[in-house]
Amino acid sequence: MNKRTNGMIAVLLAVILVLAACGGNSEGQPSNAGSTGNTDGAAGQTAELKPYELTVAFLSIGQIKDLPEVQAEVNKITQAKINATVKFLPIDIGAWQQQMNLMLAGNEPLDILVTSTGLNFGTQAAKGQLVELDELLEKYGADIQKVVGGDVIKAGSSGGKIYAVPSVRDWAADYGLVMRKDIVDKYQIDVDAIKSLDDMTAVFQTIKDNEPGMAAVLPEGPSFSVIQSIVGSVIDPLGDENGVLVGFDGELKVVNWYETPEYASLVKKARDWYNAGFIPKDISTNQTTSEQLIKANKAFAFMAHMKPGYESKESLLAGTPLVAARISPAISTTSSIANIMFGIARNSKDPERAMMFLNLLYSDAELVNLIDYGIKGKHYEVKEGNIIGFPAGVDSSNATYNPTHGWMWGNQLLSHIWEGDSADLWTKLDEFNNSAVKSKALGFSFTADPVKTEVAAVQNVKDQFKIGLENGTLDPESYLPEYIAKLKSAGMDKIVAEKQKQLDEWAAANK
Amino acid sequence: METTASAAAAKQVERSREARKARSPVLKKLKRFAPLFIMIIPGVIYLFINNYLPMLGLMIAFKDVNFAKGILASDWIGFKNFEYLFKTEDAWIITRNTLLYNITFIILNLIIAVGIAILLNEVKKKVAARFYQSIVLIPYLISMVIVGYLALAMLSGETGFINKQILPMLGIDPVSWYSEPKHWPVILVIVNIWKNAGYLCIIYLAAIIGIDPEYYEAATIDGAGKWRQITHIMIPLIMPVITIMTLLQIGRIFYSDFGLFYQVPLNTGELLSTTNVVDTYVYRALINLGDIGMSSAAGLYQSIVGFVLVLLSNYVVSKRNRDNALF
Repeated sequence: MNKRTNGMIAVLLAVILVLAACGGNSEGQPSNAGSTGNTDGAAGQTAELKPYELTVAFLSIGQIKDLPEVQAEVNKITQAKINATVKFLPIDIGAWQQQMNLMLAGNEPLDILVTSTGLNFGTQAAKGQLVELDELLEKYGADIQKVVGGDVIKAGSSGGKIYAVPSVRDWAADYGLVMRKDIVDKYQIDVDAIKSLDDMTAVFQTIKDNEPGMAAVLPEGPSFSVIQSIVGSVIDPLGDENGVLVGFDGELKVVNWYETPEYASLVKKARDWYNAGFIPKDISTNQTTSEQLIKANKAFAFMAHMKPGYESKESLLAGTPLVAARISPAISTTSSIANIMFGIARNSKDPERAMMFLNLLYSDAELVNLIDYGIKGKHYEVKEGNIIGFPAGVDSSNATYNPTHGWMWGNQLLSHIWEGDSADLWTKLDEFNNSAVKSKALGFSFTADPVKTEVAAVQNVKDQFKIGLENGTLDPESYLPEYIAKLKSAGMDKIVAEKQKQLDEWAAANK
Repeated sequence: METTASAAAAKQVERSREARKARSPVLKKLKRFAPLFIMIIPGVIYLFINNYLPMLGLMIAFKDVNFAKGILASDWIGFKNFEYLFKTEDAWIITRNTLLYNITFIILNLIIAVGIAILLNEVKKKVAARFYQSIVLIPYLISMVIVGYLALAMLSGETGFINKQILPMLGIDPVSWYSEPKHWPVILVIVNIWKNAGYLCIIYLAAIIGIDPEYYEAATIDGAGKWRQITHIMIPLIMPVITIMTLLQIGRIFYSDFGLFYQVPLNTGELLSTTNVVDTYVYRALINLGDIGMSSAAGLYQSIVGFVLVLLSNYVVSKRNRDNALF
């Protein structure tokens, strides 16, 4: 008995020791990393910079099999310039929200992350998950401020402080209808004559009469509505569409969009289209992208918010040439700018270095091209001047690095142009941005925190009615009043009032 | 006489000395079971770290979490995080939906699972029995996302099996299933039973197989038919299993199968009045907000309701039959 007990204790002790040893090991690693990672905040000159590894989280979009090779090349540049290496952390869009919440709530190594109004930027800033950038931009972000100046950079602010920097890409959108070119030609539809929703109705009627089995119009994609894609031509959604500015030349008066006559007439139009059979009956359960439905000959057109070169990109996806009818000029709002931004995480052990890297993304064409298109000669070839394309024997189906994420990484205007796009795409894009109608509230971003109870309740009401009304599956006669009443009981008025208050404060501070 | 008395006295003393020795039974027990206690330690530590330490996180539900300050230093805000759960008339709808659906699921699943288990028990051919057992279990193994599309194949407005084949045969007009909320209580209950009854049935079947065949033999000799055997032998003997399974389900009555209520109706807004439950409400409310305080509030609320219901139903069970209760 005694012997046996002793034996057991010995075994137990051994197990505990092993466990303890394991624990010790795993504890040791981060603290090591921490000590090497800590640099004095004062270090400003490259020569004095200690080596540091920057973790950069970004949205994984296209093919990035060769990312490790690209990362090695990127590190050659960054080591030379800011004595830092970069560790790219691609995260799938579906897993992004959850993984980012966990990373930011925990203490995982993370320096730079992609953020956006749609990816919780407001909460991240309000909850202190992002680092304030004003001072860092002043010190290390000269090149960023050169290309992203004035009102544009304020799109990434919250409570008067800047928390994120938008990438240089399309900062505006124009709105309209994207149609199949072969059918447009077949019925000799005059694309330039389509200037309003009523003009569209006539076109849809032609399709309905002559092309049975083909939906005349679709939303931009599943979980969008037909109206959703074009409301941007009528309102500045001020972020989340809870409280909006109607029109772009009026005063700064926040209203409940769903109560306005403009909204009522839009959903009535959607209902008419639905009843006329232009919008497919099973639209509310559709999970297939509009491009795929066009490819499968099941649809003629879809509503979209666009930018220069949009049709040529979409034509590739739909497998047939598309043409666009634009019914509004380009419009620029905080949301269209704050769509994709880079922020520095609170977790960062060296925010200064992170800012230096961001600054490179806005100034170093070699770095930007490397990240956007991969290694020259391996992943792309220069065809002519600034135009590039796949090397011989490579296409989009067997490419090992074809991320199609140029719009995410700093200054896209520094990058090459992919063949198929016009050679002056970036000039056009620049003009598009500069000529865009600017919302009066450009640069204002709403902090939902003071009314988050109401925002949460309102979201459920919106989920119940919004898409149904905007796709015409719900009759606005009876459901629109019910929608408005439920929004009110969920606290929409309180959100609108809070937004008005924040907007007034913003306007006063930006005079 | 005297000697016997003194002997008795001596014995008395001896006994009281022994009693004094044994007065520290705790120490004695500790010594006797020391190896066992030591063996318990890793498990207890694990349980403490894994199950009890995280409970400190419950305070998040009462805080306005700000990561710059850290969780401990964030401001206390009382019950403000809970407000959105009760903010609108939806609060009533989601509570009603969650409870009614789960009660229906528990009752119907129980009846149908026990029923199938009894039938399966009567299949005497080994190969056939295996085959049927697998068949009833398969739906349980299918992911809810796929179940959602199986339902779509049945219910789709323009191409669905029911609208295309079954309803025309009966001479009924097609129904647009995904825009009429009134059908969904029935659809969801059918889908849930189809998916889960098989799993419960296997558990009950295991309990039924464990019953000693001598009971049936005795009953047959006494002239009891099949029905009598079922009601007087099988059901009473598997009652403890039924009670435990049911009590466990009651504990989760305020949680709902997210996949069932989100994927199967394909997240269709029009159906929310009959398909929105606590979990989907919280998901919709917070997917854009990402507020961990509010999500922990929802979780805490659900667990407290579940905890209270388990205590209550366990109390009711133990009043009726002490042996069947969980604790």
